[in-house]
Amino acid sequence: MANDVRNRTGKNATGGAFITWAYVFLYLIIGISTYIHHVHPWILSVPDNRNVASWQHPAFEETAIYDRMTEEERRQVLKEGVPQGGDLTAQFATDLFMIIVSWFCFIHARANFGSWMASCFFIGSFIFTGLEESIWILTGRYLGGLLEHNPGGTFFGTYWFSKGGFWFFETPLVACLGWFAIAYSCVWVAGKVFPRMGLWGRAVVGGLIAMGTDLWADPVATSPELMNWVWAKGDFFLFFGIPFYNFIGWFLLIFLFAVIWEKLPDMERKWGRTGSSALFLTVCTSGTVLVALFIYVVWFLVSGGILHQFGLETVVQIPKGW
Amino acid sequence: MWRKIWKHKVEFYPYFSIYLFWFVGSFLSSLRVQNRPGIVTLGLITIPSILLITIAFVKTYKELPAD
Repeated sequence: MANDVRNRTGKNATGGAFITWAYVFLYLIIGISTYIHHVHPWILSVPDNRNVASWQHPAFEETAIYDRMTEEERRQVLKEGVPQGGDLTAQFATDLFMIIVSWFCFIHARANFGSWMASCFFIGSFIFTGLEESIWILTGRYLGGLLEHNPGGTFFGTYWFSKGGFWFFETPLVACLGWFAIAYSCVWVAGKVFPRMGLWGRAVVGGLIAMGTDLWADPVATSPELMNWVWAKGDFFLFFGIPFYNFIGWFLLIFLFAVIWEKLPDMERKWGRTGSSALFLTVCTSGTVLVALFIYVVWFLVSGGILHQFGLETVVQIPKGW
Repeated sequence: MWRKIWKHKVEFYPYFSIYLFWFVGSFLSSLRVQNRPGIVTLGLITIPSILLITIAFVKTYKELPAD
């Protein structure tokens, strides 16, 4: 993968003015989002970590974590709030850890693909994952509960992150940086292990490797002891307490992103550095909306509808009770 | 071996990054989850991914020029 792309772009090529402005814009969004999230949480109706009983759309009883908890755990969360939910020091420390992890990937990307490609991957990751997550979070928060889907019940189609130091809209920096590090590493690993595989094959393998690591990380992070993020009920297939569309989303996002990113050198030849950067970021932005729509239509409406026709009325849980 | 890896450390950054994420984000965190031994066992599901990452690590090491 590296040789392919490196031969088509200047290794030491810089990102140019467009990328510089994209960085400025990105940091500005992070600054404003962080300020709003911590200082004026009412603007985006951020659920209160200390008062779980005040949650609405969905209420605590309408979240997947509610079903995973014992009666004693529910009482404790209602009394004390989300575990370590108010510990900002720990949340900024986690941000720092993820900055270090993603910095390793950025340095590697810059050494192998040049500054421009590395920056496009980095900024594109923020837009791709940050916007995608924020769309799910905010549409569910404001429009959730309006539809009835069976199996799965009332459709909220949302979740939210309960912890985070810095924020990109309603997605914590940790999630955006984690996505960047995982996506970059997994696509790189796919290219290294299967060097003769074409672009689409590498993107599929990269997406599957990432999904494989996520299958463990997410059930752990959403356990009653950590509650790093909270899922609303509504999906018909829960995997260890996580709606399965989360994993489909991870695979689709990394697969699509890898394909678009590797097309950058071709785009640069046609439209130049600035034009291709703008096109890449535009495709990332519109891609997030398309993925969200795809999951809603294909997963919730079509797949859920077919299962409903075959008589599935209740949520499938693997394993039940977790 | 370690000197060779250190000399070409940048080439190993993606593997180091994902191992670190896996170890801290999944393994250490799973130990904090009480009374749910199954969640630690669930880690077995990541074996194929970790295996592929390790294969890539070894391939990268073998491709490095001899000192």
